[in-house]
Amino acid sequence: MMVPEGILCSKSHEYLLEGENGICTVGLTDYAVEQLGDIVFVELPEVGTEFGKGEVFATVESVKAASEIYMPVGGKVVEINEKIVERPEILNESPFEEGWLIKIEADDAHADSGDLLEYDDYKEEIE
Amino acid sequence: MGKKTALYERHLELGARMVEFGGWDMPVQYTGIIDEHKTVREKAGLFDVSHMGEVFVSGSDALAFLQSIVPQDISKLALHKAVYCQLPYENGGLVDDLIIYKLEENKYLIIVNASNISKDYEWFLKNKKDFDVNIDNKSDIYSMVALQGPLAFKILEKCGIDEAQLPEFFTIKNSVIDGIELFLSRTGYTGEDGFELIAKNEDILKLWNLLLDNGKDFGLKPVGLGARDTLRMEAALMLYGNDLDEDTTPVEAGLKWSIPVDKVEDYNGKDVILDQIKNGVSKKLIGLEMIDRAVPRHGYELYFNNQKTGIVTSGGYSPTLDKNIAMGYVDKINDIKLDSTIQVMVRNKLYNAKVVKRPFVHKNYKK
Repeated sequence: MMVPEGILCSKSHEYLLEGENGICTVGLTDYAVEQLGDIVFVELPEVGTEFGKGEVFATVESVKAASEIYMPVGGKVVEINEKIVERPEILNESPFEEGWLIKIEADDAHADSGDLLEYDDYKEEIE
Repeated sequence: MGKKTALYERHLELGARMVEFGGWDMPVQYTGIIDEHKTVREKAGLFDVSHMGEVFVSGSDALAFLQSIVPQDISKLALHKAVYCQLPYENGGLVDDLIIYKLEENKYLIIVNASNISKDYEWFLKNKKDFDVNIDNKSDIYSMVALQGPLAFKILEKCGIDEAQLPEFFTIKNSVIDGIELFLSRTGYTGEDGFELIAKNEDILKLWNLLLDNGKDFGLKPVGLGARDTLRMEAALMLYGNDLDEDTTPVEAGLKWSIPVDKVEDYNGKDVILDQIKNGVSKKLIGLEMIDRAVPRHGYELYFNNQKTGIVTSGGYSPTLDKNIAMGYVDKINDIKLDSTIQVMVRNKLYNAKVVKRPFVHKNYKK
């Protein structure tokens, strides 16, 4: 699996990828989707909604259970991935590329992301 | 850590993810729940169900004893036949649900749920009274595997059992596969044709490997408890602890079809159960298919005309239908009937669901 460079991960298994113009992509790590198993349902917030760091912004349901997904940093939702609402299995197939959850305008990604880990450190942490 | 079945190490080798269930460490999935589910519906799957309990009842009063504890009429059970039974308390609520097999005259095998083994055994002893009966809990000696799916019988043929030698639906036979003595029963918990094989703990690994090897060409895969749950839910088979419990009578659970009204012998809960069959009950079990996009789960509330009317007992994604389905209890309101729209409360929002027939998926038994 290709892991995008510069990705930051939370201990609750969300990732944050800072793009151009300060727009950040938020999704679930490969480890998270593997642990969840077959994902069959995704509930995403409406565009324009603002969330603080650590707030629940989405729910992902596998065959077995529902899981709440937390904001790795605070910000406003500017885009949601409609494709995964129609085809939740994309999350399992491609968590870092096609299977992202939302794009946000972060309030202050640098100040907010102090507790997030680089991918290699995250991997070490969960093993 | 829970108890381990004799196949525990084998599950790890096969790449299973283990979970605790009913006090046991059991495989929840190997390749993935949806893949395993579809394998059972289309080909065949192999399940470790060694956590289930085996209790043998024998002696001159074996029949009389069983007649006193279940609503079903065991006197009508032919040799080698099986019957689905409930085990009621005096108030009609359930200790457990069971399968009873008649092995010989005066000898029966009862299969009980994993989490209820000691509770059931205690209950049997309490009800033994003056009956001349031996009650042997052999759950720690026996293991059980389930071979389920449309190709299950072909796999047993390949293991050396002629189709003519295979037991019929809901029948049990003494059998031998490659020197291993076992009980071979045509029962299961998936809604598919299939078998349950009960053998001694020391023989079960060999039997499991034999079945997997012989099943390879038929697409047989090991299947975990995750798919076992989605399969039984599609077939609308009850799960004790979810759909059945000590506060629910078999009549409320829609199991009236399994209870004879003309059984002569007295049994625990008979007055309540017969009264409910005659006069009706205040709650009923229904099947639901989600109209709105949401996943109903065990414990979620059900609403009708903005009034809370019941609760989901089993729910989730149906891989066969690619829809979200549920079973649950609702107050017996005449307006809640087939095709009615009711609501499920999911994370503080109401979502529409349609009342549908159970089972959700047509059962594919070979009768």
